[in-house]
Amino acid sequence: MEEFVYDAVYLRREDFEEGRVLFETWDPNAQYAWDAGVAIGRYLQELKAGRLIGRSCPECQRIMIPPRMFCESCFCATDQWVPLEDTGTVLTFSRCYVTWDVIQLEKPKMPAVIEIDGASPGMGILHLLGEVDPGLEIGMRVQAIWKPPEERSGSITDIAYFRPLEPSEE
Amino acid sequence: MSLLHRIEHAGDALSWRGDMPTQGRYTAGVAGERFFRAIKESGQFLATICLDCDITYMPPRLYCEQCFAHLDEWVEVDPEGHVHTFTVVHQDLDEEPLPEPRILAFVVLDETDGGLVHYLDEVEPEDIYLGMPVEPVLKEKEERQGSITDIKYFRPVTGAA
Repeated sequence: MEEFVYDAVYLRREDFEEGRVLFETWDPNAQYAWDAGVAIGRYLQELKAGRLIGRSCPECQRIMIPPRMFCESCFCATDQWVPLEDTGTVLTFSRCYVTWDVIQLEKPKMPAVIEIDGASPGMGILHLLGEVDPGLEIGMRVQAIWKPPEERSGSITDIAYFRPLEPSEE
Repeated sequence: MSLLHRIEHAGDALSWRGDMPTQGRYTAGVAGERFFRAIKESGQFLATICLDCDITYMPPRLYCEQCFAHLDEWVEVDPEGHVHTFTVVHQDLDEEPLPEPRILAFVVLDETDGGLVHYLDEVEPEDIYLGMPVEPVLKEKEERQGSITDIKYFRPVTGAA
């Protein structure tokens, strides 16, 4: 049998756009459901109820938020739910002038890592700051502004943002 | 509570739901391109032949699946065929009910050793039998796009049903 070498066929964008090649397109209905798991599942339910909750480690006594079912320091199971405050301290922040899909923002968003009161030092969550300009600084005391209960869905966005706390409010 | 904690209430099992925006694009390949262009431009059905194995490929292949020889013998074949098997489909790919059930069949083209999966129409399911002679109904030429849907459906050959 004779050997036959097929010519490679390269298709470029223009071949499709200018109709040089026949093709079919379709949009798969690609839905997904990501299981939140035990710890984050409870965390989200508590957010819906307007509360922050953490988990503590029986070995190192750390209180962790977001909660997790094992301690990544000691590799042991965490064993207690710990209710936390909805106040905290700004550990770091940024001014963000574009959205995640690179659309320019007129007014910058201010994402921050907020150390939550009642959790161990350095334990915090990423959220947005509001009502802060000017005077935004690291170490600023902040409090969660919750959405109205009927608008909460069991999501981190059940907190609308964190606003500065005046010393008189402490 | 331990790592073996089990969820006891269905409402405790939370999940994030979302859509992945993806789009698929299919090209029919070198042989498929020629096959669909012939239907689009002249309504002809083309097949390839392996003379050594005496096999007529429908849809056409570039190589013989029996002896792996390169196939460059292209022939126009009669588009008439017969029902090899069929089924009645009531749901779409997402399991949603179709407005009307559709009949799908594997139609073997008589002059070939292969065939096409396509719709049957102008016939009721109870009147279909295996081996029933059928013929394709094509879209008008200006509507044809070089797609399998340039064939609207197969129908019983007039007078044969």
